[in-house]
Amino acid sequence: MAATGQITARPRPSVAPATGGAASARAAMMLRVACALVVFGVWEAVSRSGLFYGEVVPSLLSIAKAFGRLLVDPVFWKNLQVTALETIASLAIGAAAGVVTGIVLGANTFLMRAFEPYIYYLSPTPRIILFPVMIMWFGVGPTSKVALGALSAFFAVALSTAAGMRQIDKILIRVGHSFRATTWQMATKIYLPAMRIPILNGIRLGMGTAIITVLLAETKLSNQGLGYLIMQIYTRFDMPGLYALLIIVFIIAGACNALIGRLAKEQA
Amino acid sequence: MTSDSTIARPTAEPAMVIDDVVKRFGRGAEIVTAVDHVSFNVAQGEFVSVIGPSGCGKSTLFNIIGGLLGDYEGSVMIGDERISAPHPEVGMVFQEESTFPWRTVIENVAFPLELQGVAKSERMDRAHHFIDMVGLASFEKNYPSQLSGGMRQRVSIARTLVSQPKILLMDEPFAALDEQTRLLLGDKITQIQQQLNQTTLLITHNLTEAVQLSDRIVVMTYRPGKVKRIVNIDLPRPRTSDVVGSDAFGHYVAEIWNDLREEASRGMADSEAAASRRSAHG
Amino acid sequence: MADKAALPFYMRRAPEITGIAALVVGVFVFELMVRFGLVNRYIIPPPSDVLLAFERVIVEENILARCGETAFEMLVAGVSSVVVGVPIGAFLYRSALWRRALEDWVGALAAAPIVLAFPLFLVLFGRSPKTIIVMAFFHGLAPIILKTIEGLAGTRKVLVNVGRSLNMTSSQMFWKILFPSALPVIFTGIRLSWTFCLITVVGVEFLINLGGLGQLINDLAERYDLPGTYASICFVILVSVLFFIVLERIESWLQPAR
Repeated sequence: MAATGQITARPRPSVAPATGGAASARAAMMLRVACALVVFGVWEAVSRSGLFYGEVVPSLLSIAKAFGRLLVDPVFWKNLQVTALETIASLAIGAAAGVVTGIVLGANTFLMRAFEPYIYYLSPTPRIILFPVMIMWFGVGPTSKVALGALSAFFAVALSTAAGMRQIDKILIRVGHSFRATTWQMATKIYLPAMRIPILNGIRLGMGTAIITVLLAETKLSNQGLGYLIMQIYTRFDMPGLYALLIIVFIIAGACNALIGRLAKEQA
Repeated sequence: MTSDSTIARPTAEPAMVIDDVVKRFGRGAEIVTAVDHVSFNVAQGEFVSVIGPSGCGKSTLFNIIGGLLGDYEGSVMIGDERISAPHPEVGMVFQEESTFPWRTVIENVAFPLELQGVAKSERMDRAHHFIDMVGLASFEKNYPSQLSGGMRQRVSIARTLVSQPKILLMDEPFAALDEQTRLLLGDKITQIQQQLNQTTLLITHNLTEAVQLSDRIVVMTYRPGKVKRIVNIDLPRPRTSDVVGSDAFGHYVAEIWNDLREEASRGMADSEAAASRRSAHG
Repeated sequence: MADKAALPFYMRRAPEITGIAALVVGVFVFELMVRFGLVNRYIIPPPSDVLLAFERVIVEENILARCGETAFEMLVAGVSSVVVGVPIGAFLYRSALWRRALEDWVGALAAAPIVLAFPLFLVLFGRSPKTIIVMAFFHGLAPIILKTIEGLAGTRKVLVNVGRSLNMTSSQMFWKILFPSALPVIFTGIRLSWTFCLITVVGVEFLINLGGLGQLINDLAERYDLPGTYASICFVILVSVLFFIVLERIESWLQPAR
């Protein structure tokens, strides 16, 4: 049963590595560059042709300029800080709750059968629709975004932790018992090391959804944060700015994802 | 169809000639000779086994004869054709489970006929015939997942036989099965082979299996894989697995084991040396 | 195991019954808390009101048409991502070079927060179902491509060798061996993709206040119809859970016992 909740940013599938040595790596890199150039070229051509009205497809140069403008704009940094704080807070709350829930569900078959189906089937529902409720509960300020983000992160972390808990090699546990390890020793010497990867993986997935959810909530209703900034720029119809900001957001999201992914790998 | 598979007897006419085959892997100092100047014939209607320890190049030989490994020195001839790609007259049965899980038994067996464009009713008839032959008539509509390992391997064998290959080439087809199943399947193979007068080349590392089934056994050496000896098995035919208890059988097993033991222990010493090298490096 | 089957139903199903009971008790506790004024009823309406609002939402809000609209957008996006994604996946599988060059990009697409770009799509396609469909399509594309590659690459070597031993042409090899062998994994990709599609469709409907079920929630929330908002959220969640369960069922049903 592949957890539907864990699809948002699943690691690259374990396909067999393509054969070939350094030469084909270089060829692939060249092909990549060529593809990028073609995309840029077509983009620029479309932009210059004026096929689309207005600035729907702005020139690359204007996007680059907007990029630069954003990076020196204190407004951008202030909003980034808001979003970052909201995301970190929501991830901390959601992950803590998720790990605890996951361990409880993973350790106890009865509770697992009683409650895991709810988490499993609720996890892939569109979270953003809960936003009106969060506003009623926590107001229009940052708290409602944090709450929604925490809720999103919770599912991924809980499911991944519970699955990791169950996947611990039974023989390791028997080895632990055979050496008469205390509960504390079992937890620190066997469970925790074995759980590190699934928990980190859950946090990576949870962070992905938390970032998206927080930003979406900000676009819907707020007066600060990157999501708010996106809507501001959209309202101004500043297309180069919109592209630039979206690119920045994608890069940040991708970098965070890669960072935790690497962390999980190093611990392996 | 040039099917002369009815009553032709073993003749001196070789169905396949393997002549001075050499296969090397790697390059420079890393070069490994897997198959080293191997020659033998397989006569029409004969059952020949190639036996040797792991690492004697059996699987490489299987791939060469099957045409899956086209780049080799020497020649494997069927008639006056040198094999360098899969030959339509060679039917292969693989060691691993190789039935198609998305096809029923009869669809699996009819598969080669489907490729040849044989009309549906005819291919079902012919598939049915061979399924019956391997004793799975009541399982035609089942999927492989509903069958045991031994039954699935019989499906694979029926699928190979259905296109009536001149030479049946099998790579340790019973390796994954338990000993009893293996003996009983051996009976089935013997029976089918005699019924079809099927020229068969079996690659195996199992000594009793080789003696139980073969007319001749080619014993290979451990790396590089050479022919150490060719043993004629003069056990009476028709043969069943009862033969396993006979004195003659024991005699052959002991005789071949004598040759094989030396090779197997060289192989074991080699892999132990490799393991200790690895641990010294790591 | 045999004696376990002999247990009465309520013993065998004790965990599931506990789960449902906990849910019912939780709802009941909320009801009491609201009734006794422990919780502000303008933040959390009494569950009984929400239950009653269900009828209203279903009868007055044109729910069938809304479901239809969401389903239509989801299906168009989902089917197109299959139609486009499977061939791309097959192509990337066949060409080692292209795969090496682009697989990481597809992976990045899978992880990219595409929904966030909705203002951009609004500009490109206007405030119309087109926007929703295109976004859902892009969201659903990556998992299908990745799973198609994974499935084809996961074909057991011996099955390919069977094909080679039968001198199959490369197109026979693809259609008769690689593709059927990859199908179960591709189905998993379709399930993931369609889940993405539904999430995106409902989410964007809600965000841009257009179309089916997503807009329903937005509408009721903007009218400050509290029980209605809660009821519609529950309704949408129920619909999506049902959708996932159906997808899972179809997935396992389409795979003959393997």
